[in-house]
This record gives sequence, structure tokens and C-alpha cells, in this order.
Amino acid sequence: MSITAPANVAPERRAASPRGQLMKRWLRRIAIWVPLLALAIWTIYPVLMTLSISFKTKADVSADPGLIPANPTLDGYRSVLERQGFQDAFLNSMVVGLGTALLTVVLAVPAAYAFARFRFRGRHLLLLFTLLPRLIPGLGLMVPLYRIAVALGAIDLLLTLIVAFTATVLPLAVWLFVGFFQQVPRELEEAANVDGSSLYTRIRHIVLPLAFPAIITVGVLAFREAWNEFNLVLALTSTPGSRTLPYELFLMTQTTGFQDNPGQAAFAIMTIIPFIFIYLRLERYVVSGLTSGALK
Amino acid sequence: MPLQPFVIYIAGSLHCPQRKSVSRVDTSSPQPEVTDAGRPPDRKSRRRSKARRDQSSLVGHNRAVPYLLSGPSILMVIALLLFPVVYAVFGSLFDTEFIGGTPEFVGLAQYVDLFQDPDFLWSIGRTFVFVAGVLVIGIPLGLVFAFALSRATGKLRFLRGITIVPYLISGIATAVIFRLVLNRDFGEVNRVLGFFGIEELAWFSNPTLAMLASVLAQVWSDLPLVILLILGGLMTVDADLLDAADVDGATGWKRAWRISIPLIIPQLALATILLSYQALTSLGVILALTGGGPVDATRTLPIALYETAFIDLETNKAMAIVIVILLFNAVLTLGYWALSRRFELEAA
Repeated sequence: MSITAPANVAPERRAASPRGQLMKRWLRRIAIWVPLLALAIWTIYPVLMTLSISFKTKADVSADPGLIPANPTLDGYRSVLERQGFQDAFLNSMVVGLGTALLTVVLAVPAAYAFARFRFRGRHLLLLFTLLPRLIPGLGLMVPLYRIAVALGAIDLLLTLIVAFTATVLPLAVWLFVGFFQQVPRELEEAANVDGSSLYTRIRHIVLPLAFPAIITVGVLAFREAWNEFNLVLALTSTPGSRTLPYELFLMTQTTGFQDNPGQAAFAIMTIIPFIFIYLRLERYVVSGLTSGALK
Repeated sequence: MPLQPFVIYIAGSLHCPQRKSVSRVDTSSPQPEVTDAGRPPDRKSRRRSKARRDQSSLVGHNRAVPYLLSGPSILMVIALLLFPVVYAVFGSLFDTEFIGGTPEFVGLAQYVDLFQDPDFLWSIGRTFVFVAGVLVIGIPLGLVFAFALSRATGKLRFLRGITIVPYLISGIATAVIFRLVLNRDFGEVNRVLGFFGIEELAWFSNPTLAMLASVLAQVWSDLPLVILLILGGLMTVDADLLDAADVDGATGWKRAWRISIPLIIPQLALATILLSYQALTSLGVILALTGGGPVDATRTLPIALYETAFIDLETNKAMAIVIVILLFNAVLTLGYWALSRRFELEAA
């Protein structure tokens, strides 16, 4: 962009009408700035407004339109923390999120390794892994999984949620790891193989350390899936102590309606913050895991 | 869930320092512009040669090893993704006289009932309106934002990081946010509209506005994927082409219409399908935002499914609805498949 090849052409044109050029440049700048500003407002303003309302009193929500609350209060947060179920749901979300991340990695790494390194009969099932999640969205699983879970007596168990979420994230996780393992130089493993190391040693000491960024990436994605999932929680839980945050927030909107806006805002903020925090902490790894071309 | 592979695409395009590196970096990205020079000749043949080397170089492994390694994942996917669908197909062929009664085989009666039920047909219609609304608002908006972002250089690059924020927020939290933003009394949207003389729109009691509100919330939550998908496409557009057009005196609009947009048709098509996917299967956003109301105005197929299964507790009938939704979804997948063939995208 910076060097336009025929540099002698442009200045001539510019010299022809300097004022027109200047206006054009301003127009161009506006044409970039206006959409960028719109994008920033579109993306961030709703969140900022929610944050602002979460610190207002119920009366101030309509009385005080400013973005910075005139009488900031923690009442909204207090009401949420005192809610029966919020603490349970928060804890459940954490357990289910971490459990899903862990189980996904534990299952996906060996599977992806097999798909990437071995020639075996099931190898073409990898295609199944890429297509199934598109053919079968989580919404389609709600009712049948609910019926199956009832039949198995597995309703309301955190483990059921972990297993169900893992199954929905697994195809993507395997697919990501396969792409990653294909980039790990085989020569490293072959050398170790010649030295007589076992498959386990090779995976443990060569593949896993190299795959660390990919593991973090998949872990974060699996955690996000479990943290934000609503449909399957709705289907697979029925008692207060077994729900996760999105469902609990949904129930709050149903019971308090438009009465407790600061409370709902505070609840929403509290479901958003932990994940953004995790994401920002690990973004470095996620990015390096995703841009794994560095290995080449 | 079906969107996930695009996360890679996003992270790649978010942090790539220069234009070209995107295509090299992310494995999932559709990369029609990258020619044979940049990648191994053919994925299949590369795999085949790898497999052949496999047997010679990594000696001493038991033949059962790959099955043991991949077995648990394959079984899990079959048991929890594939089996439930088969279960739903069978379940939809049965019915009970009363809730909790013994199921009796009724054949296709459930489907016949569904398609004779005007409420259900209406909800299919509403679903199409909803999906169309999401596309009509989402694609142009994503296109404009992506163009703007592609021009954002220097310090403005942080905007790319911000773009992803709605993607990190759950559908329910999105709905809560929009209930506040669109609130009749204190919502910011009404305040801005009030400035232009439009008074106090009742977003959640007017049927048309409630549909629009649902569409807006859905677009908000999925736009990051669209923007970053298109942005990734724009990054692969050859800078030399644009410079050449510049020298020839083409204006910004002309360059966008005549050069950039034709070159990113694959990304646009993909974004269209992805948005349709998300809108077709969107339950949480609508349920928490409008609850399907007012008077069924936003009762799309997923809401109908939810109400049939978990309010009316007619799970057999609900499974018939599941199959209908899965069929619509399969049509989209077919479109996706055709597209990926046509543009030689990697199946993701």
C-alpha cells in the first residue's frame, strides 16, 4: 500500500486540483471513521450501559439516564449474591466448565494423534467429526438427550452436563488437534522411535509439550462452550442446585421481569466477567495455539 | 456449536501482522486465493504419503493402538450426537394418550398433526422471517464493519480485539442486555429515537418491533463471526490489485464494489450460511428476550420446540419438531457442503 509504483503519476493528478484532493482525503477519512465509530458503539455501548445500570438503584434506572451513575450502589450485586441459587450456579458453572475442558482435552488428544499419525480403518471417521456438529446442532439434542437422561436416571447430575458438553465440543477439538499434530515434525518422533522410546514416552515428552498452546486453546473453547451453554442445561437439569449460570439468569428474568433491572444487569455482568478474565489471561496461548504455523 | 471452527479463523485474522499471513496461519480458513504454490499439492495425497511412511518409520506399535486412542472419542460422538438423532426419529413415531402414559406406535401421525396445525405452520413462517431479518441486517452491517476494520491501522487495531466481545457473551446475557438497551422508558435506543421525534417505541409489546428486537439481539451476538470472516477474506485480497485500481483512478466505492466484493464472495456466502444456521437454531436469545411473545409474535420453531417439550411435556411430538428443524438444518448443511466444494474450502 505504501509504495505506489508509478509515483510520478499521482502527484501530477494531485497538483491538478489541490482543494478537490484535500476534500477527497477528508471524505475518505470520514468514510473510515464513521463506520469504525459505529462499530465501537454497536459492540461496546450495550455492555457499558448494562454495567452502568448494574451500579444504579432501581429508581435511578429511569430517573438518572447518565452512563456514570449519580448514586452508585452495589445493591444490584448484593441482591444477586443473596439470591438462592446464584452461588450454586456459579460453582456449578466453574465445575462444569473446567470438567468439560479437561475431559475434552483428555479424549481429543489421543484421538487426534491417532487420526494424524496412524493409518487405520476408522481414519475416515474424521470426516464424520467435521460434518456431524453442523448436521446436529445442540438444539436438536435437547429433547432426545432429556429423554435418554431421564431413562438412565442421569438428570440433574453435573457429570451428565460435563459429558454432554464434551460430546458437543469434541469434534471441533479433535479437528483442531489433528491440524496441529500434522504440523509437528515427524522427524522428532522418528528419532525418538529409533532411540527405542515407547509410544507413551513419545506422546508424553515430545508431542504434548509441543502441543501445549493447542491444548490451552481447546481448553478455553471448551470452557466457553460449557460456560455459555443454555439449551442442554435447560433440558438436563430440573432442580435448583444443579443449574449453571445462564439458566439461573434466565429464571431470574422470568421471575423478576422488568422489576429488577439493576439485579439482572449485575447478574449478566457477573456471568460475563469471569470468562472475559480467563480469555484475556490466556489470549496469548489461544492465539499462539491457533496460529500454530510457528512450528513450521 | 457449528460455528466453532471459525474461531480459529478469527484469532488468526485478529492478530496477523500483515495482510498475507492470514492464509498461511489458520488451517480452517477458506483460502480460495491461495494457489498451489503456497500449500502442498493435495491434501489427500499428502495424507496418503504420510500414512505410507507411517508403517515404515514408526515401527513397533501394536495394530490396536490407533483404535484404542481414538475409540473413546468416536464412541462418545456416536453415543451422544448420532444416537440421540436416531432416538428422536423413533420417538417421533410414537405417542402417549396422556403425559407419562405408555407410548404407542402412531406412524407419521405426529408429522401429519404438525403440518395441519396452523400454529406450527405460522412458527415455520416466523422462523423464515427471523432468519431473513438476521441476514438482511447482519450481512450488510458485517460488510461495512469489516471494510472499516480492514482500513483501521496503527492504534485503531485494538478495535479488532473489541469486535470479538459479543462472541464471548452467552445468548441469555445478550438478551438481558437488549432488554435494557431497548427498554421503553430508559433504553438508549428509544432515547436516540426520541431525539429524532419518534416517541417511546414499545419494543416488547408491539409484535413487529418484538421480532425486530429479537433479530437485532441475534445479529449482535453473531456479528463478530461475520465481521472477522469477511475481514479475513478482505485480508487475502491482493493489495497490488487495489493499488493498481487506485492508480487507474478508481474511487474507494468502485474499488470495493468492483474488486474487493467479487473476490470475497466465498466468505460472504459462508457468512450467510453461518448466520442462517445460528438464527434457525436460536433458542436462548429469543426465549429470554421476548419469551416468544407478544401473542406468539416471535414464536419461532425453537420456541415451539421448547414449549411443546418442556411446557406441554409432549416429548414425542417435540421430537417430530426436532426432526423438522434438523431437516431444515440439513438443507443448510447441503448448501454449505456445495459451497465448500465450489470454492474448495476445507470442510470445517
